[in-house]
Amino acid sequence: MKKYLYMFIATLALASTALAVDSQIWGEMRIQNILGYGQEESLKLGPLFTMLQHQYFAWIFLGVLIGVPGAFFLHYKIIGPKVFPHSEKKYYAFNLYNRIIHQIAAISFIVIVPTGFVIVFGDFFGGGMFVRFCKNLHGLFTIPFTIVVIPMALMWLKEALFNLDDVKWFMILGGYLSKEKKPILAGKFNAGQKMWYWVAILGGITMILSGAFMFFLDFKMEMLHNVTRMSQIDMLRAAAIIHNVMGFAVVALFITHVYMSMFAIKGAVQSIITGYVEEEEVKILHSTWYKKLKDQGKF
Amino acid sequence: MEYARMKFYCDEHRCIECDGCSVACAEAHELPVGIARRKVITINEGIPGKEFSTSIACMHCTDAPCEQVCPVDCFYIREDGIVLHDKEKCIGCGYCLYACPFGAPQFPREGIFGAKGAMDKCTMCAGGPLETNSEKERHLYGQNRIAEGKVPVCAAMCSTKALLVGDSESVSAIIRARVSSRAKGASNPLVWDKAYKNQ
Repeated sequence: MKKYLYMFIATLALASTALAVDSQIWGEMRIQNILGYGQEESLKLGPLFTMLQHQYFAWIFLGVLIGVPGAFFLHYKIIGPKVFPHSEKKYYAFNLYNRIIHQIAAISFIVIVPTGFVIVFGDFFGGGMFVRFCKNLHGLFTIPFTIVVIPMALMWLKEALFNLDDVKWFMILGGYLSKEKKPILAGKFNAGQKMWYWVAILGGITMILSGAFMFFLDFKMEMLHNVTRMSQIDMLRAAAIIHNVMGFAVVALFITHVYMSMFAIKGAVQSIITGYVEEEEVKILHSTWYKKLKDQGKF
Repeated sequence: MEYARMKFYCDEHRCIECDGCSVACAEAHELPVGIARRKVITINEGIPGKEFSTSIACMHCTDAPCEQVCPVDCFYIREDGIVLHDKEKCIGCGYCLYACPFGAPQFPREGIFGAKGAMDKCTMCAGGPLETNSEKERHLYGQNRIAEGKVPVCAAMCSTKALLVGDSESVSAIIRARVSSRAKGASNPLVWDKAYKNQ
């Protein structure tokens, strides 16, 4: 898998160094790009991207940036966090490998998400050195995430498949709307965590690929052009649109993930730092998993 | 006071694909290798009677889409319609290229990671936001011929006078005179619908 990834990156890098001669944007293709822009039979991605980026993207990001934490702030004030004793028995749920992989992804996200916001609101920061620096960090910290995204996908795949428990979980929104401590049906991961898994993995890979397109800009991948029937410039436009739209989802769920682990369930973040989950917490929030562990005599 | 609206026009009946405009541009502004602010393109190449060439650069559009999408707002449109940008603000994200109908914005690669540097495009020989005719302006944006009352270098060098630049009324008057002398029937100048919304 890694071999193919390296080959893909090498192809992109090599292709991008081949300058104007074979350029898909400023070479011979430029004529078709100019004549095709906004034409009836084209995908009209140029005008579409212009309209979305001009009028919507930054506002939607602002909405997510204020709305999601705002909703959680209200949740914290009205319903409040769930507190579990943490002195009870513990179960070793995340081994060192799990934690290292998670932490590399975590550090990547902690850099990628805020720097992404700096780029989106680049005019607010006045452009120039600072925003350029953030843009470079945004790309640089994609590398560690790219390395761990497949191992992370594989190590938690089994636990992240949706099942019937999840329907019930969604019906009561995981019990987060009540103060009661009633056992909630969920395996090792509850439906919310599963949702985050799929957005982080599939969304993350989408972000990596669309981002790589925009970083390398001018390259030619015959197969891709044949499959999509799109010119390079149209693929770049599609990449920019997808990168922003997928960004809404990734950012919204990233904020949710941080809120849940750091604030909503007191001390929950410890489980991914030490690897130990606390009995009472598992019993209430992951009751299906708790039953299984109990049967195996793990508690 | 009413300002002139500066426009480019390339007469495809006159352009002989000599590339003089792009060479003059590259020389006058000392552009790095791999950057061509102006380019001659041939349409319907090899089809008898339909083949023609034209010279393309930034068209300095009305409602310039590049200006609309820039996340750092580095573009500004002068009173005379010339679309310029601030290279010290530009972060090289590439959005202006995706928005541009003409493929005008270009990006020199820089640094150890080969990230896209600040965008470069035709300035209609009007420099940038820095002090007019300062050394720094010349270094970043090239010559500022407009400030000196000179015609942009591409049009000045055009041997067949296919490439015209000037205020829209003068350019339109020349187009009208040429079209009527050809007696071929009027046609809208190529790409003007996209660039100037036929205003």
